[in-house]
Amino acid sequence: MRTMKHISIWALVAMIAIQISGCTKEKDIIYEVNDVDVQQPNANKDYAKTLTEFISIAFADLFGQNINQAQLQTLAVPYSGFGDLKLIEDMIIKNMLNSQAVIIPSDSEMRANVDQFLLDTYQKFFNRYPNEFELWHMKNLINENSEITPELVYYSMMTSNEYRYY
Amino acid sequence: MKRRGFIKKAAATSAAAFVAPYILPSGRLFAATGTRIVDHVVFCLFAGGVRNLEAVHKADGNLMPNTLLGSESISSDISGGVNLIGQAGSQRLQEVGTLFKEFRFAQGPTGHFSGHSSVMTGVYNLQDINIRQRPNTPTIFELYRKHTDPSASALNAWWVSNALGPYPALNFSSHPEYGALYGANYIQPASLISNESYAALGNPKTFSNEQKDLVNQMRGFFDNHFGNQVVEGSAGVTNSASDKELVEQFILETFNNAASGLYNNPWGIGGLSGDQFNVFAAEKIIEEFQPELMVVNMQDVDVCHNNFTAYANNLVKADYALGHLWQTIQSTPGMADNTVLIAVPEHGRNAQPNTVIDPYGRYALDHTNDDMSREIFCLVAGPAGKVVQNQVIDQVMGESIDVVPTIAKILGFDDQVGGMLPGQHLEAAFV
Repeated sequence: MRTMKHISIWALVAMIAIQISGCTKEKDIIYEVNDVDVQQPNANKDYAKTLTEFISIAFADLFGQNINQAQLQTLAVPYSGFGDLKLIEDMIIKNMLNSQAVIIPSDSEMRANVDQFLLDTYQKFFNRYPNEFELWHMKNLINENSEITPELVYYSMMTSNEYRYY
Repeated sequence: MKRRGFIKKAAATSAAAFVAPYILPSGRLFAATGTRIVDHVVFCLFAGGVRNLEAVHKADGNLMPNTLLGSESISSDISGGVNLIGQAGSQRLQEVGTLFKEFRFAQGPTGHFSGHSSVMTGVYNLQDINIRQRPNTPTIFELYRKHTDPSASALNAWWVSNALGPYPALNFSSHPEYGALYGANYIQPASLISNESYAALGNPKTFSNEQKDLVNQMRGFFDNHFGNQVVEGSAGVTNSASDKELVEQFILETFNNAASGLYNNPWGIGGLSGDQFNVFAAEKIIEEFQPELMVVNMQDVDVCHNNFTAYANNLVKADYALGHLWQTIQSTPGMADNTVLIAVPEHGRNAQPNTVIDPYGRYALDHTNDDMSREIFCLVAGPAGKVVQNQVIDQVMGESIDVVPTIAKILGFDDQVGGMLPGQHLEAAFV
């Protein structure tokens, strides 16, 4: 009987000890989302560039400096002389890309860090960063095609529809 | 030079081309076209305000020996300021076609833009506004491209203008059912074939064919992920991807030819005037692309506002250019004996001069809506058997708005557009 009483007491003590050790205050867990800059590709780009804006922005994007009035007038002449403006724009871009003064990474620099190249290039021409899918797609395309050069990427972007808008 | 890769219509005789209506794979019903008279039309707006007195009536001698028969001497008082060039070909244009001596620019202000837009739309432009405003009725280019072949390329329709100002606005209209999708390839040679354009375009980065495919892939990816799509026609007339390459090659070749001096004396008559260079550029386009429809203008005679003798001299140059244009047409495979050339001044000039006297003592002439400024001529030249040869029509017949329905008839789409146009086909000129 006495033994039973001891056992009961010890059992009670053990139960209390277990309870005490098992009871911990529930931690407050707060689930958060990491801040991500989420934009639609055409966010805030509802305005088509005028001829002057297109030439000026393209020049600045490629040469890192503002175009002067004489240069702008020179580039405006072929626009007035031919009706297919997209064709003239294409030719102007290709002409600019062939200039010694253009500021553009080398092929080896591009391939050394394709992610960074794409981030920089999207920011330069589209004023935004690529989303995850865009980054993945373009990175794969560059890595799988040795023919793709920085000039090719620049040309493709500068003759795309998004580049015509701001 | 690289030629177009697609099949061209052969230099043909009068084969009928009537096609029964059928449903295209696109679901579009393609209505039958009429019978073509020939496959090509070159229309020359001649040449900046030409008075019938100096032209077909030869008041100062035959200033147009490439166009008109006759050897009348140049008036002695101005002969010192008029340099006859001679003839570009063995036949005069009058011999290979029909000359309407009393054509009329019947309505609207007798101004250059009004004249141009009236004759290029087939509807009189009654406004005297010289701004870069597109006509609100479709131009001949749009009518041709929309109503002939469902896939008519812009390479088949060219507008070659010797001046800027409002003329670039005439390659397509603001009509909601037409517009840039059906417009012409516009070129102003004096601007495009220039030092400035060479500096801007002449040394492009070149890409391999594989790289071009990759560009198309990347650009397609970018465009598919951009929410705003560029409105078709917002960048003017757009050539297809394959046509664009041909045009780009053509432009680069002209730069190379100009830089190498080939354009310094291409006709063997010394340096070309502005009008002549414009026609020369039109000839290069004809040789390269054999377009089915081309409109080319000349304007240098407009110097007549302050110098009559220079006007007469420029009329000689414009006439030579017209003759040389015909020779080029006749020596271009596909266009030889398969082209109708139409030449019409956009308007005439006043009967009474203004007060400006030139060094030869002649008074200058304006064009301000008097009766004589509406008197013009029309020449329709073409192959025997299709165009009545060596015919002169002395009575008042035809007007500016008749040119567009005539072109529609020649190219076989008149049944599509006849109800839209107030003018008439110049059937007196055709067999």
